[in-house]
Amino acid sequence: MSMDETDLRLDGNAVAGMMAELFGFEMTVEWGGCAGCGAVNQLGALLVYAHGMGVVACCPDCGRNLFRIARGQGRWWLDLRGLAWLQLDEQARMSR
Amino acid sequence: MGRLSWRLAEVAEVKPETDRVVTLALDVPDWDGHLPGQHLDVRLTAEDGYQAERSYSIASAPGASHVELAIERLDDGEVSPYLAGELRKGDQLELRGPIGGYFVWEPDQGGPLLLVAGGSGVAPLMAMVRQRAAAGSDVPARLLYSARTLEDVIFRGELERLDAADDSLTITYALTRAQPAGWPGYGRRIDAAMLEEVSWPPGERPLAYVCGPTRLVEAVAGDLVALGHDPSRVRTERFGPTGVP
Repeated sequence: MSMDETDLRLDGNAVAGMMAELFGFEMTVEWGGCAGCGAVNQLGALLVYAHGMGVVACCPDCGRNLFRIARGQGRWWLDLRGLAWLQLDEQARMSR
Repeated sequence: MGRLSWRLAEVAEVKPETDRVVTLALDVPDWDGHLPGQHLDVRLTAEDGYQAERSYSIASAPGASHVELAIERLDDGEVSPYLAGELRKGDQLELRGPIGGYFVWEPDQGGPLLLVAGGSGVAPLMAMVRQRAAAGSDVPARLLYSARTLEDVIFRGELERLDAADDSLTITYALTRAQPAGWPGYGRRIDAAMLEEVSWPPGERPLAYVCGPTRLVEAVAGDLVALGHDPSRVRTERFGPTGVP
């Protein structure tokens, strides 16, 4: 069986550390809304493709690109255009 | 809820589990516990400064004396051949965590609990099984575990002891490549018919956790939903192409 995009697909759990570093919260338990289909999911359930220094997270219901995160040269780049909203629970704040 | 800063842990023990898998038992200074299902990020730094990070699920229960990771050696891997082949007792390892909250089960979440593992995807589910036993929980639990052969079953001795000692825990193996002579169990990949036999009916609303290679996880989650299980009670963790059984 050859390897294709399916094999490489991960989920929000796989980038929990990166998201926590960026946002300061345990993001897999946080809820977000898809700007396309309106589906509401915890970020742990999102479909994730991680390539090199970047991450693309997609809606598990419609496949739409919800957000992209890249980092390098001491900077983060965030494209959140597919996310209608994001809810952060104070209980999920991480310590340093 | 977890800790973000990188810190140094020390390898307390390296335990062979199968031909390709070792358990790394770690002493982590100031470890303040974890939840079953959480993982660690491990970071290796080469002499030229190149860094590689990988996530590994914690297989030990929160109260265990060490934090344990089950590492599968991938022949073309960048990190696992070092972790599973070269690390020795007393070596140091840089890590951060615990991390994760979505793929977590604690006994007070109840059940019945359906755990489905492919290969090394058993690691976070093992933390749940161990914590369930340690807490004396009687939440009914079933583990369906797909491995290539019986020799590839990680934690086999402990799983069989736990199974024998606990009427409310059932462990079922699906051996996909080879089966011992007279093997009474499943000798094929996990499919919908197997899930229907092993799981509770959807009406009993089992809480399902599925972990392993992406293809297996997506097939199992899809089958569970097609069988009528509530998608919101099916949690998944994809390991990518790792260790396809």
